Amino acid sequence: MSIPELVVQNWSRLLAGLAMTVELTIISLIIAGMLGLLFGLLSVSKKKSLRAIALVYVDIVRGTPLLVQAFFIYFGIPAALGIRLDANTAGIITLSLNAGGYLAEIFRGGIESISKGQMEAARSLGLPYSLAMTKVILPQAVRTMTPALINQCIITLKDTSILSIIGIQELTQTGRLIIANNYQAFEMWTIVAVMYFVIIMILTKISKRIERKMSYGKSEN
Amino acid sequence: MGKVKIKNLKKSFGELEVLKDINLEVCEREVICIIGPSGSGKSTLLRCINALEVATSGTVEVDGNDITGAADKDINKYRQNIGMVFQQFNLFPHMTVLENISFAPVTLKLKSKQEANEKALKLLRRVDLEEKANVYPEQLSGGQQQRVAIARALAMDPDVMLFDEPTSALDPEMVGEVLNVMKKLAKEGMTMIVVTHEMGFAREVADRVIFIDEGFIVEEGPPQELFGAPKNERTINFLNMVL
Ligand SMILES: Nc1ncnc2c1ncn2[C@@H]1O[C@H](COP(=O)(O)OP(=O)(O)OP(=O)(O)O)[C@@H](O)[C@H]1O
Ligand SMILES: [Mg+2]
Repeated sequence: MSIPELVVQNWSRLLAGLAMTVELTIISLIIAGMLGLLFGLLSVSKKKSLRAIALVYVDIVRGTPLLVQAFFIYFGIPAALGIRLDANTAGIITLSLNAGGYLAEIFRGGIESISKGQMEAARSLGLPYSLAMTKVILPQAVRTMTPALINQCIITLKDTSILSIIGIQELTQTGRLIIANNYQAFEMWTIVAVMYFVIIMILTKISKRIERKMSYGKSEN
Repeated sequence: MGKVKIKNLKKSFGELEVLKDINLEVCEREVICIIGPSGSGKSTLLRCINALEVATSGTVEVDGNDITGAADKDINKYRQNIGMVFQQFNLFPHMTVLENISFAPVTLKLKSKQEANEKALKLLRRVDLEEKANVYPEQLSGGQQQRVAIARALAMDPDVMLFDEPTSALDPEMVGEVLNVMKKLAKEGMTMIVVTHEMGFAREVADRVIFIDEGFIVEEGPPQELFGAPKNERTINFLNMVL
């Protein structure tokens, strides 16, 4: 069968796979965003112990392959605790923790890129640290972080394909299952690759627009 | 009564002792200018007054409150009464000029948004920048930014204003407009502590000039005395160098 015929024949399955990929990405990124903010804030704390906690987390995430993280969470932890974890839950936990580690670094970098004078100016007006951070530092930090944040979103979307290994039926796994029936590897992987490519291009376009909207002052002249 | 009372203040950064036993009392409505060579501890002294630096020992009282040993919550409260103007302006770039000024009173729930904006406009009029209320800081010149920074500090109705070389980052043609705002403020009776290299300003506006070197107050007195007849050799050398 030709590629167009294969697309038509498998369209609903492929679309379901893509939907799963997007769903995993969005849920994981929301959780990862919260983890990243939390651990990013810890990593710029004055308290050494809090910084150490963030450092350990980030180092573990960065120092181990995503695949090993997925196996550890899907097979390792349930074996040790005698619990059952379904593949989707394990996948979301893995991606959240993984992206959370990288986002923590992005938040730390963003916060540290804002000049010390901003925090001092806010504190000198009598603002407590928490308000100075949320109202003065973070809004500026997030602006400088935008490209890195978008990059991490794309990486996490692509990382979902690794979760096919633990049996989650996202786009890559869907492709493999279809090929198991029709043996048309070249055509099917082309289709799958194009689908990833298109969705990522769409996301890139949207985020470019957001990025432009976020820059202040300059654009208003 | 002393508005600001500094007693036996010492400050070290690790091994480096930057302030070595500073004693200073600043009265209400007094304007103090602090002069001294680079690295002598002028900024550090100023920053100890609003606890941006934590003193190693000694006390700093502002309005009778000891800020050196205070809890974080109390320090935040005390700082509301101590305005600070920085060399690098440090305006908030993501806020308009008006938002910069009304931000702290609104965020700290001291004023309603409308009250704070009205007050901000009044302050902008005072620093002669009313027409810039809705622009962002980066669209302003350095001198304009520094005047906004002064207005931002004044929005908290401080009892004391600290200035750390407010004109040092400015192009020469903009120094005057900032100094004029500060002169007006001094005339209106604001208690001010100004670290400056502008000897003309110190001579004209200061009630007292303090010369700091190597972490000590070496000499202090009214400007005509300190500039006209300095007694200490280090003061004489410094003045020869800068005048
Ligand atoms: N956070 C810090 N950590 C370590 N050393 C510091 C710190 N802040 C200041 N110092 C040191 O303390 C000394 C005094 O610094 P300070 O900024 O108070 O000097 P200054 O009189 O304001 O000088 P300038 O005229 O250059 O502004 C300098 O040697 C400086 O390097
Ligand atoms: Mg200084």
